Amino acid sequence: MIQNLPWLFLLLPLVVAAINWLCFSKCSRAAATFSILSALVTFGMCVAYLRGWETGTPDTYTWMPIESEGAISLSLGLMMDALAMRMMLVVTGIGLLVHIFSLGYMKGDPSNLSRYFAGLSIFMFSMTMIVLADNLAMTFIGWEMVGFSSYLLIGHWFNKESAADAAKKAFITNRVGDFGFLIGILLTLAVFGTLSFTEMAGKADAIAPAVLTATIICLFCGAVGKSAQFPLHVWLPDAMEGPTPVSALIHAATMVAAGVYMMVRLQVNMGEAAFTDCACTVIATVGAITAVLAALMALQQDDIKRVLAYSTLSQLGYMVMAVGLLAGEAAMYHLYTHAWFKALLFLGAGAIIVRCHHEQDIWKMGGLRKRMPLTVLSFLAGTCALIAIPGFSGFFSKEAILDAALAKNPVFFWVGAAVAALTTFYMARLCLVAFWGEARAHGAAEAKEAGPTMLLPLLALSVMAIISGYGFVADDLVPFEGFHAHDFTLGLPFYVSMASLILGLVLAFAIYGLGKRKQDPLAGNPLSTALRKRLYIDELYDKGLIGFVQGSLARAIDLTDNAGVRGIGTLGTGWIIGKLGKLLTWFQGGVLRRYAILAALGMLVFLFLLASSSFSH
Amino acid sequence: MIIETISAIYSWGQFAPAFGLVTLAVIILMADCFIPQIPKRAYSIIAAVGAVIAAVFMTTDEFHNSFGLIACLSTALVLLLAFDYHKVTCASVGGPDVEDGTSELPALLLIACAGVCSLVQAHDIIMLFVSLEVITLSSYVMAGYFRRNQGSVEAGVKYLVLGALSTGLLVFGAAWYYGTTGSFLLSTELVYNLFSNINPALHTGFYLAIGMLLIGAFFKAGAAPMQIWIPDVYQGSPTPVSAFLAVASKAAGFAVLTAILLPFAPLMQVYPDKVSSIISAIAVVAGATLLVGNLGAICQNNAKRLLGYSSIGQAGFIIVFYTNLSSPVLTANVAGYLVAYMLATVAAFFAIAMVRTQRGSEEISAFRGLGKTNPRTAFLITVAFASLAGVPLTYGFLAKFNSFAFFVDAMQTQSGLIWLLPFMIVGAAAGFYYYFKVLREMYWEKPQEGDVPLQVPVVTVAVLTGCAIALIWLGTAPLIFIPL
Repeated sequence: MIQNLPWLFLLLPLVVAAINWLCFSKCSRAAATFSILSALVTFGMCVAYLRGWETGTPDTYTWMPIESEGAISLSLGLMMDALAMRMMLVVTGIGLLVHIFSLGYMKGDPSNLSRYFAGLSIFMFSMTMIVLADNLAMTFIGWEMVGFSSYLLIGHWFNKESAADAAKKAFITNRVGDFGFLIGILLTLAVFGTLSFTEMAGKADAIAPAVLTATIICLFCGAVGKSAQFPLHVWLPDAMEGPTPVSALIHAATMVAAGVYMMVRLQVNMGEAAFTDCACTVIATVGAITAVLAALMALQQDDIKRVLAYSTLSQLGYMVMAVGLLAGEAAMYHLYTHAWFKALLFLGAGAIIVRCHHEQDIWKMGGLRKRMPLTVLSFLAGTCALIAIPGFSGFFSKEAILDAALAKNPVFFWVGAAVAALTTFYMARLCLVAFWGEARAHGAAEAKEAGPTMLLPLLALSVMAIISGYGFVADDLVPFEGFHAHDFTLGLPFYVSMASLILGLVLAFAIYGLGKRKQDPLAGNPLSTALRKRLYIDELYDKGLIGFVQGSLARAIDLTDNAGVRGIGTLGTGWIIGKLGKLLTWFQGGVLRRYAILAALGMLVFLFLLASSSFSH
Repeated sequence: MIIETISAIYSWGQFAPAFGLVTLAVIILMADCFIPQIPKRAYSIIAAVGAVIAAVFMTTDEFHNSFGLIACLSTALVLLLAFDYHKVTCASVGGPDVEDGTSELPALLLIACAGVCSLVQAHDIIMLFVSLEVITLSSYVMAGYFRRNQGSVEAGVKYLVLGALSTGLLVFGAAWYYGTTGSFLLSTELVYNLFSNINPALHTGFYLAIGMLLIGAFFKAGAAPMQIWIPDVYQGSPTPVSAFLAVASKAAGFAVLTAILLPFAPLMQVYPDKVSSIISAIAVVAGATLLVGNLGAICQNNAKRLLGYSSIGQAGFIIVFYTNLSSPVLTANVAGYLVAYMLATVAAFFAIAMVRTQRGSEEISAFRGLGKTNPRTAFLITVAFASLAGVPLTYGFLAKFNSFAFFVDAMQTQSGLIWLLPFMIVGAAAGFYYYFKVLREMYWEKPQEGDVPLQVPVVTVAVLTGCAIALIWLGTAPLIFIPL
């Protein structure tokens, strides 16, 4: 019995989500309490397990086992290695803080808060499913479930058209990636003969490299969708329409990192032999392109959340690049530090947005440094971690990735360095414009310090953003088996990243000064317009891909669907079956004599069938 | 000589639950006569408690029988339904606000249930016949119980006439059975002796006997060609009685079917031809039942009549189990299917009774807009109908899946049965259409003007919730509940 305690990680949030939806839909206070308690309990359990608490191996459940020869049954099992459990700490830890922050953030919101907290709980369930899955099929279930919960939460304010559209966009874009993921899973089943992570080990050597490459790239499609990599990155910035705590939890710290987590999981369990050179190149290139493009687009965004969203994209690009460079350790290191400081940045942004009367445009803020000092201070701590100032957590993990890149392929190293400069520039721009200078709008002028439910999570996250990179924390917490924060040495990577840091800072100060400007001096030229318009990629998708290719395809499918499937298939068969049913019920018209005759005839037929067979033998 | 045999094969103790239930029924009748202060509604509750106690007895080693357990549990649920339905009962028996003559219903239900309890202990034809008649005779009365309601009276008469037909045939079959085997016992040894007899005329007579006995079982189970009474009787009978006929009485039918067919199972190896000729006849019945039940349900508009056809269709899926006669887990799986069917059907009848009491109609259209006015109740009803249709994650899905799995197993030895498969597929697909008619009415149709939210009685809420939880729990838990 006790060995099944880890199943609580999954069941608790699921049950809480269910009762919040079904029983407390009118009572948001109870819903919030239950959701926070569930996050607290799972977090506590997670800490306990990491401190060495042992309950034994949880049972594996197989629903409807298929016992014939060579058949594969799908089962649900928990895998509780260091990679999974430490990832769980990130998920439940940030989850808990976001739950608490939500109390303050959503206070007085007219929407249904029970629905919101139920959504958070169902997300916690789904994310746990991905993290603790012991086979790919289970991962896929969680994969779809996080997509679903993300859909619910992005569209929380579904009365707002842009939010409803963003929810749809996120869901549908993810479907594209998931389609590839599903093919990848089936390919895995075909070539490895199993979906279980533990059984995959060591089988890669015997498989043809071309097949392996195809499998890995198909599986990577899932990560491209979920981790919003180029070319499926378009949904993440729009997803910022959701409540800010949701952006912090789902679209910065955990769900979008699931793609990286899944790829590292494969790398660890399939063995690095499964990642052929070709597959690695594809993965690293996609990561690098995303990192660069997203950093460029972030340069000219005015919405504080969108800047952070593009920055998330670009940081995810780093991680994916590290996966492609077979540096899973560095990828997870960065995933882990990034989760803390990016959640901090988003929650900080959330606190600022609330206090500025839901104003998100940084050009309508300004001077916040004086009015909400603690919030700004913690936001700055997150910024320092993000732009990798030495001593902050982000610095260590970014160095790890740059080191790996330099060792494997210098091209990616220089790309990484360039992105670092861009990152510094846009984050410095954001801080200078929003926090220094004078308030440029009414909302910012009236801003005051955030309340305790919001400040507390911010301060907790600030601490993590600063210390989580050091070996004494990281060695115990980075989601990777046997992780060691490697000794920091002065060398080319350090000098280059310092140079890009200084370059970015100098440029930002030169252009934006100390927040005295009223509008962006870089705006107006074609290049900045292009960056502002996200390099026209979304438009290209809208007009070209969706309007033209998908439109014509949809018309053709619609035609076959309406005429063939619906017309002949459904309505035709339905009509025949319906008529047949009418015919059969015609006998049941209610006339007793007819009933008796029919029954007697039926009996005769039955008796004849039985008796006649006795003659034959 | 026959009397001696019977006392040799049965003990009084075996029939303790049956005696207990009959005693309780008599006590209720007496109390009704002599202590008029007791409110009539209370008898339903008392009787339900009695049925639950009988059900508990059915789980002990001595009486262990899954059909009996199902019958007792469903009788208890039906009695609770009668409790909620009391107002309509009063209006249809003695007139509005007159309670006279309503307390016989729980007593009759108990007696019928006692019939099932003794039936499941029977392994000779006399006991089988007597127990079956206990059920049937009380059912006749119950079907026509609403004497101010023309439909109910008509149902009673129709049930009586067609039931007499089947009973007559059953007795005739029993006579043939005795004539060919020289005994009333249902045992493998007897069948083996007969099959090893070289006189072919004896074999033909024996097949006729088995055929006529089976027809008696088909009548109760609602299988073609004896399904003919079901739609009219279910529609006309009082709703609790329809529920009883649909579940407990059907379980009795399958208990009879099992008792008659199981003696053949061990002979599958010795006389494969002879046993498989019975199986092919059973398969024909299954096919016809699936077709009539599932296709007939498509064009129904009355919810009770729909459930009547549904019960025929579901019986078709249960009969399919018997094509794999030699499986050691046959009974367990039939019982498993019956449990799924019981939970969902009882819940559906509760819903119909509630809608009938408050909206005055048993048409499917009376369910309109429940998704808006009573979202939680609508969800519980959805679970019940989804389980009947066989939606995954409900127990109904696993039950139907098992039916298919059993059939696939049966085809390993008898490939000639494959023609039945399309019937099963069409039946399962049609189920989605006609069960979802109710759901469509609840969620797609808007409430009409003047439709107030239904006041859901406490007992109904409890039963609906319990059934929904059980259906989902059994449907999602690993297969420990139905061994395959």
